[in-house]
Amino acid sequence: MKQFLLFISLAMFSLAQTPVTVAIRNAKLVTISGPVIAKGTVVLRNGLIEEASENATVPDGAWVIEGDGLTVYPGLIDSISNIGIAPPAPTGPVTGAITATALAPPAPPARGPEDRPRTTSWERAADKFRSNDPRIESARNAGFTSAVIFPTTGIFAGQGAVVNLAGDNPSKMIIESPAGQYMTLTGGGGAGGARGFPSSGMGVYAYVRQIFIDLDYYERTKAAYQANPSGKQRPAYDRALEGVKESGRLLMPATSKVEMERVIKLASELKMPFVLYGVHEGYRAASVLKQANASVLISAKWPTRPPTADPEAEEPLRTLELRESAASTPVTLNKEGVKFAFYSDGQTPAEFLKGVRLAVTRGLSHDDAVKAMTLSAAEIHGVSNRLGSIEKGKIANLVVTKGDLLTEKPAIQYVFVDGMHYVPTADGAPTPTAPQGTGRRPR
Amino acid sequence: MKFANLLFLAAPIFAQEAFVLRNVTIHPVTAPEIAGGSISVANGKIVEYGAKVAAAKNVKVIDGKGLHVYPGMINCATLMGISEVTSVRESNDTNEIGEFVPQVRAVIAFNPDSEHVPVTRVNGITSVVTMPASLTEGRGAGGAAQSILRGQAAVVHMDGWNWEDMGINRNAGLLMRFPQIVTARVSAFEGATAAAIPFADAKKIYDAELKKVDNFFDAARRYQTAKLAKAADFKPNVQYEAMLPLLEGKAPLLVPAERERTIREVIAFAKKQKVKLILLDVQKPGKSIDLIKENNIPVVVGKPTNLPLDEDDPYDAAYSLPGQLYKAGIKFAFGTYDNQFARNLPFEAAFAVAYGLPYEAAMKALTIDAAEIFGVGNVTGSLDKGKSADFVVTDGDPLEVKTQVKMLFINGKNVALDNRQTRLYEKYNSRK
Repeated sequence: MKQFLLFISLAMFSLAQTPVTVAIRNAKLVTISGPVIAKGTVVLRNGLIEEASENATVPDGAWVIEGDGLTVYPGLIDSISNIGIAPPAPTGPVTGAITATALAPPAPPARGPEDRPRTTSWERAADKFRSNDPRIESARNAGFTSAVIFPTTGIFAGQGAVVNLAGDNPSKMIIESPAGQYMTLTGGGGAGGARGFPSSGMGVYAYVRQIFIDLDYYERTKAAYQANPSGKQRPAYDRALEGVKESGRLLMPATSKVEMERVIKLASELKMPFVLYGVHEGYRAASVLKQANASVLISAKWPTRPPTADPEAEEPLRTLELRESAASTPVTLNKEGVKFAFYSDGQTPAEFLKGVRLAVTRGLSHDDAVKAMTLSAAEIHGVSNRLGSIEKGKIANLVVTKGDLLTEKPAIQYVFVDGMHYVPTADGAPTPTAPQGTGRRPR
Repeated sequence: MKFANLLFLAAPIFAQEAFVLRNVTIHPVTAPEIAGGSISVANGKIVEYGAKVAAAKNVKVIDGKGLHVYPGMINCATLMGISEVTSVRESNDTNEIGEFVPQVRAVIAFNPDSEHVPVTRVNGITSVVTMPASLTEGRGAGGAAQSILRGQAAVVHMDGWNWEDMGINRNAGLLMRFPQIVTARVSAFEGATAAAIPFADAKKIYDAELKKVDNFFDAARRYQTAKLAKAADFKPNVQYEAMLPLLEGKAPLLVPAERERTIREVIAFAKKQKVKLILLDVQKPGKSIDLIKENNIPVVVGKPTNLPLDEDDPYDAAYSLPGQLYKAGIKFAFGTYDNQFARNLPFEAAFAVAYGLPYEAAMKALTIDAAEIFGVGNVTGSLDKGKSADFVVTDGDPLEVKTQVKMLFINGKNVALDNRQTRLYEKYNSRK
């Protein structure tokens, strides 16, 4: 019987490019959006979840997976990633501008905000996304079915996109674009401003404010001109401002409490929704975040002692404290009711999940941790009507496991992306024999 | 102050003139204090002091009723006479270029007319150690080659016509910047960035630098042997020549070493090279304090009012360090490592007294211990017979800020107490 099923599905995948109808019967459904259904059936058709309930009917002709002993989770989402748009990050921090400045192309030094320094706000991750990144398969093998990808270089680095992690055609993999503007806020110049304006932190803040002042003026002059161009000088087109405007949401970095306070203050002036990312010192800033009603993306790359550090170097207490307590941020924020999601911060999927598991050992419940990689992530990125939970009508992104998902060696049985099913390779690494980018291995 | 001036005008005393100071409380530091004592001076030297001092006929008698006499203090780390205004390049004669410049001598560059000299001495500082280079410069990683052997320090009197007059110990030691493992890249604008240089790389730079130092010492030793053997092809070399006092054990190596690791390594280096050592600017010795004691290495501590080195250090880390050294039995002295505040030396020591250093130990560290550390213990540092008549006459405890210095004697000369600061005080005080 099993052999037969395997054959059938093999035939279907090789012949048809459309997803089959699948029913996972009598499995434990961790819906995230609602209570856990101990024994339920989920039906996937045309890449969508057609039904998910205790007594859903299995359509005729559907491939039925007997779900006894299986648990179904919504597919995981990496909330900030560069998968598909950049080579795998080398060792070293990815958060913030350290990479950003290191990778910045040489350009004549900017003299002021009018030169729009370190700004590529118009660039869209969706336009740069390629489906042949081998990391797509390894992420999927670990249970990640979507990622929110961003260009990460610059003060206004560019617009993100929510992508599904399976497929050949990049265009079909995009779920949402644009999905927020990735920002960094460190003064990157230094060295006496050889890299041009802004070289200091205060310069960066002034620049961000200037952009929004300019944007306001830009929109008013544009509207006035469009209403009646006659007798008016035409306003110049400004792609930097257009890019900021259309991104709709700002992702701003903040690691320490004081940075969070500072960024929240800045962001609240800008009259645009914002999300903080990094947030390692969130364990002491929960009330600050709650008060500002801020959503945050927590880097699951917890601070550690750099392996290249001087073994005799005395580290300040605050460094040690951050290192010790950062992983308690999620549980603290959860108690305070701050919405948060996790992101990989340049780590491999295995490292990412290890980081999340550390947060679980600090008291975050397993399902809350899953929520922070599913529904919360979808909500923060504005795609919760399509992703993030097992609900009727949502995109059929699922992870099916034996046992809990967040264990050291999760027994992932199937991964569904857009209703297409994938079986992870044993070691979770992309198999070299698989054609790059497709990675379909029908059962 | 006024009293001192009047006295000075009424009875001008010239250098070398013999005199007896009577009715004073004498604090010899090396012996118990004597109330109502006298001290007699001739030819710039102390003849004797005590409760009863017989004065020769026709010798000037100065009545010091109610006043106290202390030996002159020694500031063991300054740039006195070779740096006037640190930010005015022309007025700085420090920090010679070149990796190994042991031949550079601070004493010959000493400017006897420096405004810092009269300002500093009025607090009772009668001698200073002048370093050939500042300690804070040349610590960066990479960049231009930083000087390692930086030149010879000198002990100088704070009064005189020229450096020949003033230099008491013209070669008080060879200042060295010991190579360090530097992993933090420090930017003036952004501060230190953690582990910017991998430890392995920093260690490589350090090892290479240390190797260079060893090579230089080896070369100097070969030079020494060749010179002693009067080798036929012997060629004089000022660099190596300047190393000879060090190699012969006549002059110590002066090495700033803030932290435990540096201290450990510097001591190991000095042992290996068999040279005498004085540690400068020790700030966080940690466990190496025992090592310092074991090897009997003297220390010149910095200002107790300095900020602690690291952000988590106790607030009194610098205040209490002299007390710790004292308890460990380490011989130490004080230095301010600057000129502008060199005059505050006694008040700096007073902070250490408030934090565990016995008063007597502080006075010794300021006077006789400092003199002995820098090889002038037979010349100055106490009121003993035959020593240079360097002492200060006050109306009270010199470590107390309120105390007024009434007279100051250097080499037996009653030194004028006016200086740039008193002149400015008079000038602006008289403004109507």
